[in-house]
Amino acid sequence: MYDFIEPALFAVLTIATIASGAGVILANRITTSALLMAFTFLNVAGMFLLLGAETVAMFQVLIYVGAITVLILYGVMFTPQSPRPYGLFFQTQKWWAALFVVPIAIFVALVSFTFRDSATLAPKGGDLLPLATSVFRDFAFPFEVASVLLLAAMVGAIVLVKRDEE
Amino acid sequence: MPVGPFGIDPAIWAPLRLVIAVLLAVGLVFNGALAQIYLERKIQAIIQDRLGPLHTGPWGLLQTFADAIKLLGKEDIRARLTDKWFFLAAPSIVFSPMLASYVVIPFAPSIVGADLNVGLLYLTTLGSMTVLGIVIAGWASNNKYSLIGGLRSAGQLISYEVPQILSLVTVVLVVGTLSMVGIAESQPGWQLNVLVLPLAFVTYFIAGLAETNRNPFDLPEAESELVAGFLTEYSGMRWAIFFLAEYGEVTVVSSIVATLWFGAWHGPFVEVFPLLGVLWFTLKTYFFVLVFMWIRATLPRLRIDQLMSLCWKILIPLTLTNLMVTAVLLLVFPTTVVPVAIANWILLALFVMVLPYVQRRRLVALRERLRTAA
Repeated sequence: MYDFIEPALFAVLTIATIASGAGVILANRITTSALLMAFTFLNVAGMFLLLGAETVAMFQVLIYVGAITVLILYGVMFTPQSPRPYGLFFQTQKWWAALFVVPIAIFVALVSFTFRDSATLAPKGGDLLPLATSVFRDFAFPFEVASVLLLAAMVGAIVLVKRDEE
Repeated sequence: MPVGPFGIDPAIWAPLRLVIAVLLAVGLVFNGALAQIYLERKIQAIIQDRLGPLHTGPWGLLQTFADAIKLLGKEDIRARLTDKWFFLAAPSIVFSPMLASYVVIPFAPSIVGADLNVGLLYLTTLGSMTVLGIVIAGWASNNKYSLIGGLRSAGQLISYEVPQILSLVTVVLVVGTLSMVGIAESQPGWQLNVLVLPLAFVTYFIAGLAETNRNPFDLPEAESELVAGFLTEYSGMRWAIFFLAEYGEVTVVSSIVATLWFGAWHGPFVEVFPLLGVLWFTLKTYFFVLVFMWIRATLPRLRIDQLMSLCWKILIPLTLTNLMVTAVLLLVFPTTVVPVAIANWILLALFVMVLPYVQRRRLVALRERLRTAA
């Protein structure tokens, strides 16, 4: 009866993701870009929901919208704003951008048009256990290495910015 | 023709149910805010030996309605140098995640918007989205005080998310599910989680106070300093939406507490009349709303550095220890939660006894340093 909803949602999410992603690069002000980036992340979370990966969708919003975007906005707000349009820096390097983007785009298009075997997909819902098993059991060591790396980066950042106290 | 609930065609019932649920949630938020503002005024008045609202309607009951109508009727003012779209969007960015939280709150065994299997994660996710709205509100106002208020608030909310999530994870470890309905069902009769995990309850409640910007952590919108933080440039209905969101958030945090530690809808006679669960759930939730108000009327506001050191130096190590101890004990004794309960009560007692001692020693050290510097 309501089978049309899922493709319709997919269409809306796709258009919104691409449009806001383009907006991130084209917008002249960096705050607008940051907010549009948050919107892109939200749409991608919606995609994950459509695929039945609720946990990934939740973490997407929790980390990227709730933490990373806020961190970027935090950084932007502490730096003085000049009237110079920030976007110009990226918009003057069209040919370099094309050089990098076109091969990736061709590869993605090839993969997405050859991927037709949807029968092997797992049933929707309940991605919590598979996710936890793969992160904390099958790939526990890479996971720990990544967290040590993040910790080292954090300690390094603190050491770099810390002023000597009297 | 197939017949669904109430003799309605399922094809019509599915969208109808959605509309009813959303309208109910909006109604709950609006009426809850009206009731809570009245309660807040009356309870603070009683605690501070005053009378509170008295003249509009019987016992001053209509005072909040009068205030709401006044706010609706106010002119929508936007200062010229504010950032138009961000300024207009900020209240909705704060309000809509709060409204969306009502989807997973279990009012009764069968009365729940959607029994998501990641319900608790969903709630924390929505809670973290509020920060974005507050930062944007502070920045878009184009006002130093708003900006500082917004950034302080972001720092506070992000910091207190950590102990909040760590406390929730402890409960999830013991219960073994993230679904709100599942957590509620795991506590029949007197087997409430608060008896097993009292420390997680206390730390979550403290973090919840900070997450909802309530006293003693209401620095982001401190009325008497920072000219009300990120709310400075807001007036009329946009200001009211921020406060609706705050009261809604208080209700959500209270209902999380009621669900996770106090058995949600469980209570006498629920097995006979399942609808009675709504009453028990509401009573439990509003009990914690009242505790929020009681704390507001009792405690003074913390300074920003005290607030941050409480979070990073006390709450986070404590919740981490609690999480590790719980996890290890659950691995060692997979069949019983009694060791977890004992460890938790011991940790709680330590927290309550050692905290004033630590604070006093820090104060002495600070005075010593000031004296040597001078």
